[in-house]
Amino acid sequence: MLRLVADTLVLYLAASLSKPMQPVLDAYSARTGTVIQRESGASLEHIRKVTELHRVPDLMLLADAEVIPQLLVPKYATWYAEFARNRLVVAYTARSRHASEINAGNWMAMLQRSDVEVGRTDPNLAPAGYRTLLMFQLAERYYKRPGLAAALLRHAPESNVRPNAAELAALLEAGELDYIFDYQSVAESNGFRFLTLPAAIDLGDANRAAEYATVSVKVRGSSPGQTLTLKGQPILYGLTMPSDAPHPQAAKRFLDYLTSPQTIAALRAAHIDMLEHPIVVGTGAPAEVHGAVRR
Amino acid sequence: MAPFDVSKLESVEPRRPNPAVRAIATIVVAVASSLFLLFMLGPIVGLVSAGGARGVASLASDRELRASLLLTAVTATIATLLGIIGATPLAYLLARRSFRGRAVVSALMDLPLVIPHPVAGIALLLVLGRGSPVGGALYSAGLRVASSPVGIVCAMLFVSAPLYVSAAREAFARVDARYESVARTLGDDAWRAFRRVTLPLSARGLTAAAVVMWARAVSEFGAIVILTYNPKVVSVLSYDRFTSYGLSEALPVAAVLVLFALVPLAALRALRAGEPLRG
Repeated sequence: MLRLVADTLVLYLAASLSKPMQPVLDAYSARTGTVIQRESGASLEHIRKVTELHRVPDLMLLADAEVIPQLLVPKYATWYAEFARNRLVVAYTARSRHASEINAGNWMAMLQRSDVEVGRTDPNLAPAGYRTLLMFQLAERYYKRPGLAAALLRHAPESNVRPNAAELAALLEAGELDYIFDYQSVAESNGFRFLTLPAAIDLGDANRAAEYATVSVKVRGSSPGQTLTLKGQPILYGLTMPSDAPHPQAAKRFLDYLTSPQTIAALRAAHIDMLEHPIVVGTGAPAEVHGAVRR
Repeated sequence: MAPFDVSKLESVEPRRPNPAVRAIATIVVAVASSLFLLFMLGPIVGLVSAGGARGVASLASDRELRASLLLTAVTATIATLLGIIGATPLAYLLARRSFRGRAVVSALMDLPLVIPHPVAGIALLLVLGRGSPVGGALYSAGLRVASSPVGIVCAMLFVSAPLYVSAAREAFARVDARYESVARTLGDDAWRAFRRVTLPLSARGLTAAAVVMWARAVSEFGAIVILTYNPKVVSVLSYDRFTSYGLSEALPVAAVLVLFALVPLAALRALRAGEPLRG
C-alpha cells in the first residue's frame, strides 16, 4: 500500500547494538519508507529519558534485560523480551602494545603491565561496566589467584573509564587505549582483534546462571549514597515497547520484521548473537513478536 | 554643481512620524523584547529555583561536586590563560596588519564555533591522543592528554579561544592606530608602543574577551566528555547525575554551575559599568 505520510519509529538502542544493527535498520527504512529516529547510548541513560524526561520511544533495545522489570515495569511497560546473548572479551588492535604476545594463558599478566592502558565502561551507567567487574571476580576464582580482581581493576583506572561500550571502543580505535573489556559483538563489528575468555567467566553461557550468581558487585543506587547490589547473570539483551509508545503500529510492524527468521539471520551475520526464540516476560506483548516462548 | 547652501539646511524640519505609527513601533519593541527576555531567562530562573537552594546546600556535603567545581574552575582558568598568551598576538595582527591570507585566518579562527563539540573532541583525540605522533611523544614524556585534566584544558581551549580572538581583535581595532604612530614618532619601538599605548587602551576589552572565554570554557561538555570523562568537570557530572539518579539529582548540580558562572559575568558587567555607552 502506498503511504502518503511516512511512518516514524523512535528507537532507543544500547550503544553496543548501534553499529551492528545499522544495516538492518537501513534495509527496513529503504523497504518500508519508515523514518527511524534512532538514539544510541548507555542503557540506563535511555531509561532515564523515559522515567525522568517522559520522552517515550516506540521501542527500546537494551543491553541488560533485567533493568526493564527493575525500572520500567509496571509504570512504563508491561512486558519485555530477552532477544540476544553476548559475552565479554578482551578487545585490542594490531597497534596495541604487546598485541602479538597476548594469549588466553597470559592476559591477566599482560593487562597489568605498566606500559599498557586498559579501559572499561562505567559500572554505574552501562551494563558492560558492572559486568566487567563481575567478570574480574569470576576470573579471580576461576584462575585461583587471590587479589586478581583488585589488581585488574587497579590497572583499568577511573581515567580510562567511558560511559558506554561504543565510546570505549572509539578510544581503542583511536589508539588511546591498548585493551578494553567489551562485548564480543562490539569487538567484531568494529573489526577489533579479541581474546575469548573461558565460558566460566565471560557471562556468555546461559547454562551457567547459578555459577555466575555466586559473585556480586555494588553499583550506585537510585539516589546518592545508596548502593544497589547486582548478582552475576548470563548476558541477555532485552527489548520492550513502552505502554505509551507514540507510534504503536509502527513499533509492531518493526517487531514483526525484527523477529522474522531472515532478520535474525542477518543480525547473526552482523555479530549479534540472537536467541532462536525470544523469551517474553510479562503481559501484553504484541503478536508480532514471532516464535516467542514465555517464561 | 551648485555650492551647498548651509542656510537652507536650518529651514528643513525633522520629519515627525505619525503618532499612531510611533505607538505601534513602541508596542512591537516592548513585546518583542519581553518575549525574548522571557525565553532567555525562563529556563535559567526555572533551573535555579528548582535546584539552586539544594545545590548550594549540597556543596557542604557533596565532596564530588566540590572537587568537580574546583577542577572546572582551575582547568577553565588555565585554558583562558593559555588563550590569552597564545591568541593575543594573533588578535593584534588580525586587527592591525593587513597581510595575505588575513581573511582566511579570520575564517579559520571562527571554524571551531561551527564544529559540533563531540566532533571537536574526536578531532583533538586524533591529534593529541596517544595513538598520534604528537600525543604519543607527549605520552612517552609522561604527559597524557586524553583521560586527564590536560585533555579538559585542550577541549576548553579549542572551543572557547575563537570567542577570545574575535573579541580581542575588536578591542584592538577600537584603539586608534594614530596613538601608536604618535608613540612611535616619539621614539618608542613597536613593543613599547604596544605595551604603553595599545594595551592600556584595550585592556578593558581584552579582559571582557577573557571573561567570555572563561565562561564558555566552564560550560563545555561535548568535547570534554570524549577526551576526559574522569575526572569529571561540572557539566559531565550533571550529565552523570542525570543518568545515574535522574533529574532531581542533576538539577542542583546544574544550578550550582549557573550560579558559579554568574561570578565572572557579574565581574564583567562591573568592569563595563564605568564605560561610556558607545561603539
